[in-house]
Amino acid sequence: MKIERVILPVLMSVFFGGAAAADAGKDLYNKTCAVCHAAGIAGAPRFGNAADWQPRLAGGTARLYASALKGTAKGMPAKGGNLAASDGDVKAAVDFMLASAKTASASPAKPVAAAPAPAAAPVAAAPKAVAPAATAAAPVAAAAAPAASIDAAANTSGVSAADINSFNRLLKPIGKRNPPPVEDGIHDPANDGTVALMAPLAAYGPLPKSLAGNRVNWVKAIDEKKINPRWDRQDANAAPVVIDLNIVREVKGSMPDVVYPHKQHTEWLDCSNCHPAIFVPQKGANAISMAAILLGEKCGVCHGKVAFPVSECRLCHSKKKEFRPAQATAPATK
Amino acid sequence: MIGKPPWQRWFAILLAFAAIVAFDTDDARAEYGDVVINNYSDAAGMRPAIFPHWFHRVRFRCKVCHADLGFKFKAGGNEINMVKIIDGQFCGACHNGELAWSVENCNLCHSAKPGTPTQVHESTIQKLAPAALQKK
Repeated sequence: MKIERVILPVLMSVFFGGAAAADAGKDLYNKTCAVCHAAGIAGAPRFGNAADWQPRLAGGTARLYASALKGTAKGMPAKGGNLAASDGDVKAAVDFMLASAKTASASPAKPVAAAPAPAAAPVAAAPKAVAPAATAAAPVAAAAAPAASIDAAANTSGVSAADINSFNRLLKPIGKRNPPPVEDGIHDPANDGTVALMAPLAAYGPLPKSLAGNRVNWVKAIDEKKINPRWDRQDANAAPVVIDLNIVREVKGSMPDVVYPHKQHTEWLDCSNCHPAIFVPQKGANAISMAAILLGEKCGVCHGKVAFPVSECRLCHSKKKEFRPAQATAPATK
Repeated sequence: MIGKPPWQRWFAILLAFAAIVAFDTDDARAEYGDVVINNYSDAAGMRPAIFPHWFHRVRFRCKVCHADLGFKFKAGGNEINMVKIIDGQFCGACHNGELAWSVENCNLCHSAKPGTPTQVHESTIQKLAPAALQKK
């Protein structure tokens, strides 16, 4: 039964050369694509469902071909996971699914378009009665256009429909932090050098943890002598000139004041790295704002790129305001 | 899909689950501070170079590269090319076959996916305004 279903279209495509491409598309669809595209598993656009396909078709057929061939971040595997399929067959399968969506949208669209005035319920019910099995999904789409557009918006954000309401969907899951170079999305897995590179977690094992950035507390790592990075590239014994001088910056609003410690910075950096280009070495001479830092200026030259990012507010804003007690007494006198 | 045997349905569910696990990821997950440098690589038919900050800061303090060797604090802002590196400038100050492996290991640095733009990976500005960065 199953073998017949697979072999028959293949044989037919051999015998009827003219229709070969279409048959190959149908064949591949039945064999591979239907696994997800029949029922819409993992947010896949459903076979014969115009509303599912329309937003994707907006980008052009060429883009759909590319998605089918190379896969997408949303969940489409390259060639649907069937890497043995030829590029031509994959494209034919896309055409086959598009054709199904077009015929589906053409037939029930007429009653909907002809009778826009009556209430939504009969409209939705009418085509269901006409074509119950094949196009059952289409009237739903026609009646619920906003749902389709929400679907499209969700899909463009790169989140599959299955986990759109998942917990903390924008946070990086634990299993996806510090991936090895082959899986990290910027290294080319096809490059032989990539395989030879060290995986971050192999180095981070003994280092103290933190909640952001590399998830390593680099300052503590030096303090605890877990690492001893060289101060001079040749001389392993050269030691930094550490300056222990805290600069307190009073800040507006209710945030605690900033304590800038020279100590931790001079463990890593030379004075000339920051002075005078980034920070004028004079109290009150530097206008620093979180906006500037977020845009990569001032502290943001390093913090937010390699040093701990700005999400760790209290590491800098660490000194409670002096006037707090005075404020607290005010309501007490009332 | 009428009369689909149960094993096929189970296989479909399994495959869909595998697809979600394997492919439901955004592209931005390389290590914090990884710098992609693509000033000339793409045009020269090489993969862009990737500098892993984390690996180097285990071995050297920031000062060694950013003060002694003159690396500016800007991704792609140093106009590094292979001639300078072979001359012992920038990466070539260490990557000379003595302190660190030398330049014939092309693919250890030139390891990014072709077409990856110059960037500090996972940087705050990249996360804040991915759309703006993509337009560039």
